[in-house]
Amino acid sequence: MNWTTLHTKVLPSLLGGTSRHPLPGELIRPSSPSSDGALEILSLMGQALRFERPSIPDSFIVEPEIKDDRKILAGGLRRPLVRLLATKSFTDHYARALARAFDRLRLRPHPFDLPLIDAFVRSYAEKLGPTAQHWADRQKPDAGTQSYFDPELLDGSNWAQATISRRVAYLEQRRRDDADAARALVESTWSQEEAESRFRLLQVFQTGLSMADEPFLSALEKDRAPRVRTLAAKFLARLGAGSNNPTLGACLERIKQGHSGLLRKHTILQLELPANVKDQAASRWILQTFTDVSFSELSGEFKITEKELIEAAVKDEPLLLALALIATNERRFDLLELVVANLPNAWERMFEAGLDTLGTMTESERQRWEEIIVRPYRKDLPMTYSLWDWLHRITDTPAPASVMSLVIHGKLLKKVPENERVVWFEVIPAMCPAPQRQEVREQLADFDQSLTVAPLALLDILNGMENDRTHV
Amino acid sequence: MPLRASGRFSNHRSGAGEGEFGEYLACLRHRSPMDRMSLTLERFEALAPDQASLAAARKLLKPSSWPTLAEGYGLVWGECQGSGATPYRVVVNEADGGYKCTCPSRKFPCKHALALMWMRVDKSAAFAPATVPDWVKDWLSRRRGTPTPASKAEDDAQPRSRPSIRLTEIPETVASADPKAEQRAAAARERNRLDREATVLAGLEDLDTWLSDQVQHGMANFVAQTAQACRTIAQRLVDAKASGLAGRLDALPTRLFTLPGPARPSAAIRELGQVHLISQAYRRASELPELLAADVRQAVGWSVSREALLNDSEALRVTARWRVFAVVSEAQPDRLRRVETWLWRESDADGMPQYAVLIDFVPISGAAAAGYLVGDQVDAELSFYRSTIPLRAQITTLKRGAEQSSEPLPLPNERLGVSYANYERALAQLPWLGTIPLSFRSASVRRSGEQLYLCDDETELALPLHTSETTTALPLASLDRIDGIGLWNGYELTLAWAETQLGRWLRS
Repeated sequence: MNWTTLHTKVLPSLLGGTSRHPLPGELIRPSSPSSDGALEILSLMGQALRFERPSIPDSFIVEPEIKDDRKILAGGLRRPLVRLLATKSFTDHYARALARAFDRLRLRPHPFDLPLIDAFVRSYAEKLGPTAQHWADRQKPDAGTQSYFDPELLDGSNWAQATISRRVAYLEQRRRDDADAARALVESTWSQEEAESRFRLLQVFQTGLSMADEPFLSALEKDRAPRVRTLAAKFLARLGAGSNNPTLGACLERIKQGHSGLLRKHTILQLELPANVKDQAASRWILQTFTDVSFSELSGEFKITEKELIEAAVKDEPLLLALALIATNERRFDLLELVVANLPNAWERMFEAGLDTLGTMTESERQRWEEIIVRPYRKDLPMTYSLWDWLHRITDTPAPASVMSLVIHGKLLKKVPENERVVWFEVIPAMCPAPQRQEVREQLADFDQSLTVAPLALLDILNGMENDRTHV
Repeated sequence: MPLRASGRFSNHRSGAGEGEFGEYLACLRHRSPMDRMSLTLERFEALAPDQASLAAARKLLKPSSWPTLAEGYGLVWGECQGSGATPYRVVVNEADGGYKCTCPSRKFPCKHALALMWMRVDKSAAFAPATVPDWVKDWLSRRRGTPTPASKAEDDAQPRSRPSIRLTEIPETVASADPKAEQRAAAARERNRLDREATVLAGLEDLDTWLSDQVQHGMANFVAQTAQACRTIAQRLVDAKASGLAGRLDALPTRLFTLPGPARPSAAIRELGQVHLISQAYRRASELPELLAADVRQAVGWSVSREALLNDSEALRVTARWRVFAVVSEAQPDRLRRVETWLWRESDADGMPQYAVLIDFVPISGAAAAGYLVGDQVDAELSFYRSTIPLRAQITTLKRGAEQSSEPLPLPNERLGVSYANYERALAQLPWLGTIPLSFRSASVRRSGEQLYLCDDETELALPLHTSETTTALPLASLDRIDGIGLWNGYELTLAWAETQLGRWLRS
């Protein structure tokens, strides 16, 4: 009896049942008089199947070639990293700090660790290099068609293939260096972009906005996306090349202008909130209303300088908040400083307003912004965790040394309520810049180890990432 | 205070008194550090039954929770203030990772033992040198395998057993000086054996009837109702004292359901065919070669105790340096966890088995590791259970405690196809051969859909990887050539160890 016989004559009977498909009589060799031989055939067939080699698939997937020039994290840091990320944490501050370090130091997790830190990789793939991005995208249907390369290697030829945030960052840099070339890049791919991408790319035009952009912006007045049309109109208005910014009118309707002073008249501005906007919702309404207005537009309408605009709003906290938001949006730190000098709780007010992005600010700009809004609190840092949580999220950068000095010298960690220590011990070490880690470590040493294992591990890993010479 | 039922390393020893304990301490004092299994963060992490236990242990790292923390003679112990009035007493043996806690937790080790190990490894708390308290002495004296030699030389001369929970299942034998009583006991044992033989044979008759029914109804039908069908016959085989076959049939539904639907009927033929083969071979054991007969009896359910193995002068013994290349843990239906520690022989021993497996059974809530970590190097003499293909073994003598090694595994210069051909030869010798290691050189991991395969281009062999490795082994798919070892169960390969251009990949 050979394999073919077994396969063609025996297997169908065993699968379908010998009561319906009797075994071929000529093949049956009972081992004893009491046996009908079926079980002997079963064993023979079973053993034959065991010797059958596994079938080979018709085709295998060709894995994409990934150009990843980043160094792989040093071996000694792999286990601590996996352990820390596997530890239950209440916030994502550790992950955020680690992802930032990977990005800044141009490191990447070891490919073998990607399955072990899958959630982290999926959340922060853009900061972990092309290999991690490929890993995070592996379950997306169109992942196979994408190219994976290091964003450091972005240029005019491949910039359109990167993720939108990388493209925005690249375009931002190009706008600073050569605004016309950047515009040409955008124009070359504009028709293939989705609405969200178009909006985000257009936002970058705030940097280096000039009359040279006017033809392109004018063409966008017929864009399919209302957000894009509005933003283009705003830029055109700023250039004085289009109709007035449509949102400016809504703002002006709410600003009451007056004058004071006997010898010299000063303009006084006051923001009148709609009657249906209650106290709690006021900050959010201000954010929504003033998002698309610029300092120059407002000052132009009141025929005063930008600084005079701030002085005119000094006694009106809601209007100061609006000006703080506009200054943030326009990255006008000189004006933000003036506003914050008159609105010392700008940090809390912007948090209440629900500001959730600092746009295209660079890391140093975000640190500068943080420094400005924290400075009024230097003598009495807020003890509300959600404020610090928001600050770290929105800046997504290590705190400036001056801010961390306030935290350390103000012994903030010692003051936090005992039942909130867990979350505080996540956000503060995650915000801590490298030179001040030792001081934070010393402060953590005063607490129970049960609270400090993870934050100390984070500080160790960050130090290791920066100083270890065995990254490969 | 009475101590709770001991943990997996907590083996009883009767009659150990204060004098013996003193000798034990002397022995510990003189034992070189090399004898000890060093307690590291990785090792204690592996001992933890789950992540939740580690998280709970972390909360106990406050020194204020530990009114007492002390050390001495390779032991650390402490008292942890729980919710009750009396603190829990915890002791850990640094030499072998043994532990004991008086808390009522059903996790092994409990959070208190883990916290104590953690503080010790982390050096985050001060352990005051102290004399060993009575309750620690009590635990030590009741541990099976606690050495009580008067000198280190004597200690080395004796086989040092690797602790196993199975030892706790073995009743203490009380030496009797009465020859008549011994004769009566031997006669009773023989009577019991014959009774069991008869019961097993009767059970095999039932099994034949059941198998015939399945063949008549067809395997497609069997697969549809496999869980109930297997459960019933497994219970009957347990009653017939054929626990090996019972376990095989009890596990069959799980095995089938891990396979793709279309593959299940033919897998059922394979499995039931083997069951009949074992059943028939058992009836004709007297006609079989001695080793194959031993295999048959083990497959049916006649177990060989550790003592019997150690006393078997003809058992195969191999002294070598071994490397732990895989630790596989699997929960069983009987609420025990089967932990397999797979060893690869690193030093030369011509003609001797290249690999071995140590099998432990621990409570299901216990640690998924057996105390050894993948990568540990162990100098030991192993005794192999009698088999045509020697695989399962026990450590009889430990020459040197486990130490992590980063050296590459000395794999034979053979491709996957050659290893697979060796497997087929072994299968011809032992038709119901179970899981076996396959080493390979220059293989590649490839993907077809979601399924990964280990491929040997020369022989056009592609072994499907275990579905649990679909994600973990995926990074290997982007590499060209890898060397390593996997565990082949006839259906799927569990990749265990791979040396690659990106470094070592280990099954997680």
